[in-house]
Amino acid sequence: MKSQKTQSAINTYLKETGGWVASQLEACTRCGICAEACHFYQALGNPEYAPIWKLEPLRRAYEQRFTVAGKLKLALGLEKKLADSDLEHWSKIVYEACTVCNKCAHVCPMGIQLGPLIHGVRAGMAAAGVVPADLAEATEKQKTVGSPLGVTDEMWRERIDWITDEWEAQIPVDKAGAESLVVFTSIELMKFPDNLAAVARILNRAGENWTVSSTGREVVNFGYFEADEELTRLFMYRVFKAAEELGVKRIIISECGHAYDAFRWAAPNMMKVPKGVEIAHISEYIHQLWKTGRIKLKEGAFDGETITFHDSCKIQRRGGIIKQPRELLRVLAPRSFKEMTPNKEQSLCCGGGGGVISIKEADANRYAVFEMKIEQLQEVQARAVCMVCSNCRLQFVDSVGHFNLPVKVHGLAELVSKALV
Amino acid sequence: MNWTNILNFSRGPLLHVAMIIFVAGLSYRLVRVLLLGWARDRAKNKGSKLWGVIVNYLKGLFVLPFIPWVRRTFRHNELTFIAGGLFHLSLFLVLVFGTAHILVWKSLWGFGWKGLPTPILAFFSAAGIISMIVLLINRLTHPVLKMLTRFPVWINWLVVFLPMITGFIMARHLWFRYEVIFSLHLISVSLLLIWVPFGRISHFLFYFFSKTIHGAQAGKRAVTP
Repeated sequence: MKSQKTQSAINTYLKETGGWVASQLEACTRCGICAEACHFYQALGNPEYAPIWKLEPLRRAYEQRFTVAGKLKLALGLEKKLADSDLEHWSKIVYEACTVCNKCAHVCPMGIQLGPLIHGVRAGMAAAGVVPADLAEATEKQKTVGSPLGVTDEMWRERIDWITDEWEAQIPVDKAGAESLVVFTSIELMKFPDNLAAVARILNRAGENWTVSSTGREVVNFGYFEADEELTRLFMYRVFKAAEELGVKRIIISECGHAYDAFRWAAPNMMKVPKGVEIAHISEYIHQLWKTGRIKLKEGAFDGETITFHDSCKIQRRGGIIKQPRELLRVLAPRSFKEMTPNKEQSLCCGGGGGVISIKEADANRYAVFEMKIEQLQEVQARAVCMVCSNCRLQFVDSVGHFNLPVKVHGLAELVSKALV
Repeated sequence: MNWTNILNFSRGPLLHVAMIIFVAGLSYRLVRVLLLGWARDRAKNKGSKLWGVIVNYLKGLFVLPFIPWVRRTFRHNELTFIAGGLFHLSLFLVLVFGTAHILVWKSLWGFGWKGLPTPILAFFSAAGIISMIVLLINRLTHPVLKMLTRFPVWINWLVVFLPMITGFIMARHLWFRYEVIFSLHLISVSLLLIWVPFGRISHFLFYFFSKTIHGAQAGKRAVTP
């Protein structure tokens, strides 16, 4: 049965289907190689987790509207129109068994950008309101309260004060004329306050003229997880508006992959962005501070137990910040830093990104994926793992606890701040 | 109706109609996609899009077909990579360097080139046919491929397989009279040409879109495609 909600999903698909989407949908040969790139398929073996299968709603909408073959298939009864039940079925697949990590695109012989296209499928789901309840709830909280974790303005202020006291790290708030606006995630604020303190300490040591904003205070974008275009814009708008009001030169995205992807690559194509404001990820900025001699690090500060680096899909594979964290780690732990395999562009996703970790029903999926990560960690006998995304870190901390592993989980900023000289 | 008439029909009107459908159908598909519009990418590049595109084509055309194991997912897909790669290579060699095919190109474009020695052609055409059978079995048994494969995909397989097998038989002068097998070969080729605009064999055209897009996407992000 096709209701109004399916129609809004179809409308979204047709609206987003320009040549970019269409040519890639046309290029698929149904070879199925992408399945083996998907950590959810590899871990769970469900054929429906094959990345190309996740595009079915978008493909059907496109073919049935725009192609002769699609119309023929429809007329001959080989294929049906999208129905409510299809949306509900695929909603679970695209939100609970995909982190939009885009490894599949690097494996596809045709080079189809499966990640962004799956984001497109999510957009239809969001338009139809067929989004997992937990994800929808967090998005709603971000819309109304300003944070997916429900952090109110007051709580935010208290928390910042507490971190300032506890870690003795000065955090300038709403400082007009600052050069850099640093925007954190609620995850860091509530669960990894040490990371926030670490960033503050590094920037203060470097003599950076920086600030946080009480209005543009949340960098995570649950609208982007859902792929709700309007909310994605709204959540970024809050930050851009704060940046304009404060007159900063750059926005530094803290340790959040999806946020970096949204601000760095998506924003200019979906909304008005403040002119001349640079978008930087905290890990590349810290690297730059070190490279230009504004901070100095104690060499070998973390030598001892084997430490490895986990590549975050949105910051490394899709963000290009691949060399920088490694250069820093080679200073921090020149003897103990070991690479997992595969790594860099080909790295294995943690399993918690893309909103997956916020969906309770997807817990089994992400733990199953994490078992593959455990294998990777064990291959290099890592006792510690470092990363530059709080979402990955949350997945690591939670899963390391779940599986009771003797592995310490670090944010890169945290390590750098401890090695400052 | 005798086989000489059938041969005349299949290499005359049938082939011409098939070629017209092939060209017109593909042009339509191409124009249809192009007309859907292309949004400008306003995000500032981190690396070079052109570099990404060049590297991506070099990898896709010259590295992966010959040393597929550079790709880490190879070990999960040996069969698809090797059989798929061998199939495409065979098809290319036989179509471009097959002695009989060169004559066709010559009649179309007015010039020809030197073909490959018969034993090499025989080897690759056999390898291509075997690859196709292996890929078919894989498609019939692999859970993901079974799910992905709908009716038109079987037609894709059939219309590619028929010209290959008839061509192989004809080139080796096996079993059939010349007019018979040549007619069957031309009919199957016509069938292929007519079908291409309707199915996914047309990926040879859209390959250049997705491959360029992937290279540009990787290049602008300063990652290796």
